[in-house]
Amino acid sequence: MTMANATDVFTITIRKRPWWFWALAGLWLLLEVLTLQTALASVEEGEPRAATISWIAAVGLAVVGVLAWLRRGRSEKLGESNRQPEGAPTPV
Amino acid sequence: MCGELPLAEKSTIANQFLEETSPEFVEEVERAREDSADLRGKSYWRDMDFQPFGGGRSLPGGINFAERMIDVEDRRKQAGRRTFLKAGGFVAASGALGSIEALVTGASTEGNKRKRARWIKTVDRPTLSEKSADYKRFSGKDIFATYIELKTQRDGAGSFEAEQASKAKRLVAWIKERKPGFSLPDQQLSEGAWTVMRSARPGTGLLSWTRTPVRTSTEPGAQRYTAPPEEMASTVKAAARLYGARLVGIAPMNEAYVNLQVPQEDEKQKDKDIVFEDVDVPAATDTKFVIPRKMKWVVAIAIPMDLGLLSRAPTALGDAASALGYSHSAFVVSSLAVFIRGLGYEAIPCVNDTAQSIPFALDAGIGELSRLNKLVTPEFGPAVRLCKVFTDLPMAYDKPVDFGLVEFCKTCKKCAEACPSRALSFDDEPSFKTKGPWNNPGHKTWFEDSYKCFEYWQKSGSACGVCLASCPYTKGDQAWIHEAVKATASIAPVADPVFRIMDNAFGYGKQRDPEQWWTKDSTSRRRG
Repeated sequence: MTMANATDVFTITIRKRPWWFWALAGLWLLLEVLTLQTALASVEEGEPRAATISWIAAVGLAVVGVLAWLRRGRSEKLGESNRQPEGAPTPV
Repeated sequence: MCGELPLAEKSTIANQFLEETSPEFVEEVERAREDSADLRGKSYWRDMDFQPFGGGRSLPGGINFAERMIDVEDRRKQAGRRTFLKAGGFVAASGALGSIEALVTGASTEGNKRKRARWIKTVDRPTLSEKSADYKRFSGKDIFATYIELKTQRDGAGSFEAEQASKAKRLVAWIKERKPGFSLPDQQLSEGAWTVMRSARPGTGLLSWTRTPVRTSTEPGAQRYTAPPEEMASTVKAAARLYGARLVGIAPMNEAYVNLQVPQEDEKQKDKDIVFEDVDVPAATDTKFVIPRKMKWVVAIAIPMDLGLLSRAPTALGDAASALGYSHSAFVVSSLAVFIRGLGYEAIPCVNDTAQSIPFALDAGIGELSRLNKLVTPEFGPAVRLCKVFTDLPMAYDKPVDFGLVEFCKTCKKCAEACPSRALSFDDEPSFKTKGPWNNPGHKTWFEDSYKCFEYWQKSGSACGVCLASCPYTKGDQAWIHEAVKATASIAPVADPVFRIMDNAFGYGKQRDPEQWWTKDSTSRRRG
């Protein structure tokens, strides 16, 4: 085994997400569905102000959800790149 | 809808429907199954020319045949476990959402019984049911007649006539200038909506107290229809719903709720007394109305008003919502009375006449008494017209309901603030204190000043209705959030002030542009 080969070690980390992640995701999904339904239904009911507020809330929630997801993914990547895998040979 | 029926039941309904309606379709499916080896990787109906029911029509229970027969049968075999689980998850989620909706809205039916939302609790006595010794049968004197008397007393002889002449002039002027909400089409829309109700007079025509000449089961050789009280109630409610009732309840007869007299339109005629007698059939004679004592059941009915029209109050368009509600009521009670008589029993159809509709509706569990001193239903708020049918047909009684309205009314006061004539009470608590001769004393409520209310009717040229439109319980039936808010208010009154603030913030209860009704709302799918 050459030195170059020794560094070609890849580690796949499968991390179980904590319970609160799923609770938050579920809550977010519920709120998103509710606000979207309210927005669409308010248009149907002829309530322009309620529809506007609901649309803003639905879009805002969606944006927050996407941003939170992206931010989490980024922090995970950063965490992995900084971490030295256990048992991996230290490059000389 | 998707949460209402178990999948197995849907499948059975689907198969029965197929076999009965389209044997060719069944054959085609069988052939498709045989040829399934050639169809791997395909969705049959999508890739073939043959499109049953125009490409997969939905059937009762929300089943789509093309999807159900092929996607579930073939795809399950073809697709991997992962795909199948994904689909299963989606179906489960849809089912769960459907179940949530059904739980909150109660929008499911079981046979003839319409289930109400679970947050509408049944109680033994109506909320605000306290009565004192002063409680008596109401005179039955029309509130308009009371207003005329009081107006004459306060402003002198001829003041009412002068007010009417001035109102008539204004209405004509508004027609000429095409004032929004009072143009000729607006005013005539209301007139048209009154048509049925105008021909409904107590004891005659549509509201006849006696048998109309139709075939009945009581003709010689036939027997009257009998069934257990629960079944009878269910049958009568189903018929009432068919005729147009949206909320139906059965209350026991209470003579104290029945008016003393039926006022006569012709001033020369004496008002007729309403009496209870031990007779077999009701009678409307030249001198009195006779209700048989054996009539121990009252079918209380609520007819929702058109929200598109009501939200234009105070205009002639708003009046059309009331007018239509009355005409629908006359149609429903007269039809139901004929139905009950046809079963071999007696029936007296009433709209606003003969008795107080609200206490019967309270006892029948249609709704609760509110700050408006009117009934508010959990489903339609106060935007309903009430009517009733007295009968000797034995039925199971319903129970009164409590959905947290009284507590909500204590903090809300939106109707009182919205009332243009300041006729509604701002008191925190209901009381026995009446505001005038139009109120029937002896019961606890928020009494209203009907004189101010009627005076505003004359000034505005309409029957107002702003209080009905502004109530937070008056909402469309599309958004789940309305039901969620009502459900929360019923169990957590602490949140009532927040809901009131939110109601204003969302812009509910504001008057809408009357002109837009003709171009926009008249064609929308809003509740009406």
